[in-house]
Amino acid sequence: MLVLKIVAVFLISASIGILYRIPRKLLVYASLVGVVAWLIMYYTMLVGATIVLADFLASIAVGVMAEVLSRVLKKPATIFIIPGFIPLVPGGDAYTTMLYMVKGKYVDGVAMGMQTVLTGGAIAFGIFVSATIFRLIINYNIERSLQHVDKS
Amino acid sequence: MSDGSEALGISLEQIVLLSGLAGEIMLKNGAETYRIEETMDHMAKACGVAQVESFVIPTGVFLTVTDPAGRSLTVMRRVRDRTINLDRIAKVNELSRRLVDQRIDYANANAILNDISRERTGFSLFPSMIASGAIGGGTAILQNGVFFEILAAFVAAMLVRYIAHIVSRLHGVQFIFEFLGGMAVASCGAFLHFMWPQLGADPVIIGGIMPLVPGVAITNAIRDVIAGDLLSGLSRGMEAALTSAAVAMGVVIVLALNL
Repeated sequence: MLVLKIVAVFLISASIGILYRIPRKLLVYASLVGVVAWLIMYYTMLVGATIVLADFLASIAVGVMAEVLSRVLKKPATIFIIPGFIPLVPGGDAYTTMLYMVKGKYVDGVAMGMQTVLTGGAIAFGIFVSATIFRLIINYNIERSLQHVDKS
Repeated sequence: MSDGSEALGISLEQIVLLSGLAGEIMLKNGAETYRIEETMDHMAKACGVAQVESFVIPTGVFLTVTDPAGRSLTVMRRVRDRTINLDRIAKVNELSRRLVDQRIDYANANAILNDISRERTGFSLFPSMIASGAIGGGTAILQNGVFFEILAAFVAAMLVRYIAHIVSRLHGVQFIFEFLGGMAVASCGAFLHFMWPQLGADPVIIGGIMPLVPGVAITNAIRDVIAGDLLSGLSRGMEAALTSAAVAMGVVIVLALNL
């Protein structure tokens, strides 16, 4: 069953890549980013983490993998981020929220809606964190190389 | 590089057109704000101008270049319809790197850029419908759907792509595609459940709304905010939120009618 799900995640990421027209040569890399991120989310939830924490860790992984790949392959990081995080999107939670709201179960709906929003926020914040760290590293390296020039 | 634009035989008008076109292509196809500004700056500097100022918002590109003699020229490009084509962004990015490294000259760069802006990339309707369907079917698998639910999710997500194809002809109408897509997906799910009550509507609807997730808007909003482009970041974040709301409204209306 897990193998089937991994194949499904690979297909989702690759199809997102096709829809958003990322360069064909990079489809495999982008899809693998999606699979790794989803596996991180899956196993973190198996050991008992909430979906918010699991998605946060997985999306940090997406950001790190995307920034590394974009440096190595000299392509924009967005190409790897989008197929990477789409399998993490809490579509099921969002749908359940709508269902509760329509049925008039507002308390459940608000609780589920909060979880959906927090999960989405965790994904966004995970990408934010990894991109910020990479930016800091780049700026630090530039500073250091400038100081080096000054001394010599 | 510092011997001035006249020495290279390129006029200020040509430089500003080249960089402006590069910025316009990138903005039209969904690049981050800082990437567009940096690309335009690098391209203009590589052509030998003394100073470049660029300003990009989600609906337009502004660029001023000044040559060593102190003359300056400004262009503005208004961008109305935006699509998503990350292949073009990667190509313009690559072109600007080659121009900066002097591996390509102005005339070649201009010809290639015009090709990029005109060429048809990506896939035609049917393959992208299959791709969209695969997103829906795959998500239904992740939701532990049974075979026929996965199949229905595949069809629903393909329908979303077809609606996108029809609605894309109506330029300047925002969010109607997401709304109609949500309605169509929810109708598919409700129909399946009505015809075969042992099958659930849930995996179909969850799978079907997946292709409607505004992935580029979310990613660009985050990356713009980190880079300090607060204006673009906020408006793209708002775009993502409104898109999600439109999808939810479409689904909710059908669900409410169905009960």
